[in-house]
Amino acid sequence: MSEKIFIAQSELTAMLERLSKEMDVWVPVEMGDEKWGVRFLPYHRDNVVVLGRQSTLSPKNVVFPQVETLLRFRYQKDDHDPSKQSIDLKDLQDVSSALVFGARPCDVRGFLTFDQVFLKGRYKDPYYAQRREKTLFATVLCDTKDSACFCSSVGSGPGDREGSDLWMVPVDDGYVIEALNDKGRKLIPIMGKPATPEQIEKAQRVQEQVTAKPIGEYNLTQSAGDFTGRFEDMDYWRDRVSKCISCGICTFVCPTCYCFNITDESRDLEGERIRSWDSCMFYHYTLEASGHNPRPEKFERYRNRVGHKFSYFPDAYNGMISCCGCGRCIRSCPVSIDIRKIVHHLKEAVDADN
Amino acid sequence: MVNSKEESTTKKDLLIVGFLCNWCSYGGADTAGVCRFHQPTDLRIIRIPCTGRMDPLFVIKALIYGADGVLVSGCHPKDCHYNEGNFYARRRLEVLKQFLPFMGIHADRFRYTWVSSSEGQLWQQVVTEFSETIHGLGSNPGVQGESDAKAMISFF
Amino acid sequence: MMEDKVKTLQKEFLNVFEKLEVVLGWEPGYDSLHATPSFIREAEDLNKLVWNPLCSQNLCTYLVKTLNVRVRENDKKIGICVKGCDSRSLVALIQEKFVPREALYIVGIPCEGTVDWRRLMRFEPSLKDVQKLHIQGPELAVETAQKTYRFPLQHVLEQRCLHCRYPNPIIYDGLAGEPVTPRVGDDQVYGDVEKIEQYSLPDRLKFWEKELDRCIRCYACRNACPLCICRDSCIAETRTPKWLAQRCDLKEKFFYHMIHAMHLAGRCTECGECERVCPVEIPVTLIKKKLNQIVKELLDYEAGIDPQKQPPLLTFDPSEKGI
Ligand code: SF4
Ligand code: SF4
Ligand code: SF4
Ligand code: SF4
Ligand code: SF4
Repeated sequence: MSEKIFIAQSELTAMLERLSKEMDVWVPVEMGDEKWGVRFLPYHRDNVVVLGRQSTLSPKNVVFPQVETLLRFRYQKDDHDPSKQSIDLKDLQDVSSALVFGARPCDVRGFLTFDQVFLKGRYKDPYYAQRREKTLFATVLCDTKDSACFCSSVGSGPGDREGSDLWMVPVDDGYVIEALNDKGRKLIPIMGKPATPEQIEKAQRVQEQVTAKPIGEYNLTQSAGDFTGRFEDMDYWRDRVSKCISCGICTFVCPTCYCFNITDESRDLEGERIRSWDSCMFYHYTLEASGHNPRPEKFERYRNRVGHKFSYFPDAYNGMISCCGCGRCIRSCPVSIDIRKIVHHLKEAVDADN
Repeated sequence: MVNSKEESTTKKDLLIVGFLCNWCSYGGADTAGVCRFHQPTDLRIIRIPCTGRMDPLFVIKALIYGADGVLVSGCHPKDCHYNEGNFYARRRLEVLKQFLPFMGIHADRFRYTWVSSSEGQLWQQVVTEFSETIHGLGSNPGVQGESDAKAMISFF
Repeated sequence: MMEDKVKTLQKEFLNVFEKLEVVLGWEPGYDSLHATPSFIREAEDLNKLVWNPLCSQNLCTYLVKTLNVRVRENDKKIGICVKGCDSRSLVALIQEKFVPREALYIVGIPCEGTVDWRRLMRFEPSLKDVQKLHIQGPELAVETAQKTYRFPLQHVLEQRCLHCRYPNPIIYDGLAGEPVTPRVGDDQVYGDVEKIEQYSLPDRLKFWEKELDRCIRCYACRNACPLCICRDSCIAETRTPKWLAQRCDLKEKFFYHMIHAMHLAGRCTECGECERVCPVEIPVTLIKKKLNQIVKELLDYEAGIDPQKQPPLLTFDPSEKGI
């Protein structure tokens, strides 16, 4: 099909250069000299693009920035009557269209989770909606799994195209790229030249090979009931999660964690209302104004994280797991807590108890 | 010597934050005022109960957000109204002073001194000198963030 | 050699197990390149404990923040494994009376260094299914089914270990293994700090702006720090008074790190946890190290060495001159 193009590794920079004239292009780049970590940044020709390993931080900040201004305000005092004041408000700002280049299937699946909450529910979040609408994903077929990956365990997989606009398959020191919808199709002419039949055929084979091997040894899609059964088993949680330091890294690097906080940051007569990432691993997340905290212990907070992803969320959204199996929380956890094992053992332990 | 009188009237004011202890230096500054000693105008004074209350973070916050200089002044050591407040303070403040350059902040933008309430003359001298130093360094860009709210929320 | 250490370690705890509430050690992590902290509550689980160059976590952080050892329900002790650097944190906690010495049963492990997983991956991205991993002279030997890799320690150890002066535990009730010779002499300790100081003032600012810009303000550096003992009341999160805004811009990040550093001045034990846990690899320990250097030169004090001494910024000396 003519829609498939091939781009050699060596032409990648030129292509990104062309694309970045059309829109904001976010690419995975190294965190610095001699650093292993990777994060998504707006394309710049000096940055080294890393497609060979998963990014440390997911690209969720492209659509759901860590800090987002919801509105700005300015009070104005009446010159003649100081007791009176008026307020200027400025809300929703336009955002430019963006392309996330080199996302992985798990990253994109993160946004499918977000969509449930921010778009498909009773209320639509205009801030999220606007960015989501304007953001495209060029996703790479994932052939670089490591010991923390488990996307197939949660109903996705390394060849899962759902949610992507462009699909890239690594072949011959380059990529065969194909558009999956109209939005993606528009970019194809800017991206490169048509692929040869051999390249297309090779890509097909790579795709088949990669999809044939599921990633992750467990099936974690049916854990909601197991979780409820374990909920009050304090020993279970304490034994496995006492080592959690409640740092919240797991939620910040997670492509499916969407909790936020809203604060007014003001000075004198002006300020802004911002939304910033929050995390259920933080003590302050559930701290009530009275001083009471329903989840004072670290393991209780971790239990919520597991529960939300594998039980409450699927209960609320047609069985969808709000974990994409990217393994970031495992890799970046300073104390190596393994969410797969914890969810898997929910079940085993339930079985054993019966 | 530069004539500081003319200097300060011609030069654009910079922003110096002064943290002065209630019992000595605040009185010293007052004495200087009562005696009508001429002083530079770029100092904004914040009265604190004692330099022992002086959290080094006050200084850091001011400098990060773009204050051009920070001056802390209290009672002479052994003269603290609370006996020991400034003994603690001098350790903290000296450590802070030596630390600032490591982060890329000029150590001269921060100074701590001891001035008693009768030393109006000394106060005038300290402020004038410090102000000159700060004018020599020029304005402090602070730490440059790329926040879009930067222009709007300016803390100083 | 390493196996012997593990045996000794387990035996040390087994001998006194009925007097212990819990033992903090390490067990194998989610793959062959990670270890994870372990809370052992049953004697038969002691054989889970391991010791190898992957045991990087400083377990002292749990004493105050998870176990709250100061408030004890019975006279049972907490068993804990410490490396050289960890033991300094312990001393500091004891000095500051956050942890009573008598509440601990400490097994010290003379340490040749721990591996920085990310540096190792940089060196050999394909490394996996490791069977054994140990330090041999200037190298890290990593055995897999196919071959044995050898990596120069300079490239794969944690930064803290490359400058470590106290690889041997300072306090302990039992010792697993023979004392080792420190890797560096006293004159090389601040080599990394001095490297930054070679930059001009504006370049230093640029360096920190660039590094700290990556910070996502997860505060893991704080949570992992054994001496950040404010539990859930850190000023980074209070709104009244409000020190920091929620906005995640460079000023806020810069300020947060200065807060963290100032609160550790004269207290930081250079365990390097803050840097190890950082998901975006910011060399934050350097900031605290600089403060340690200042405190050492100005007030002749090193944190976590002498349980009898008081941290210098928590006390004063009327006779001191020059400041
Ligand atoms: S990253 Fe690990 S230690 Fe940190 S909050 Fe998550 S589970 Fe706990
Ligand atoms: S509740 Fe916790 S696990 Fe769920 S989205 Fe929020 S931060 Fe993530
Ligand atoms: S700093 Fe020293 S004691 Fe600590 S892990 Fe490294 S070598 Fe071991
Ligand atoms: S751990 Fe790293 S990213 Fe997190 S707050 Fe500390 S420096 Fe910032
Ligand atoms: S500041 Fe960092 S190096 Fe110092 S004690 Fe805390 S975690 Fe360890």
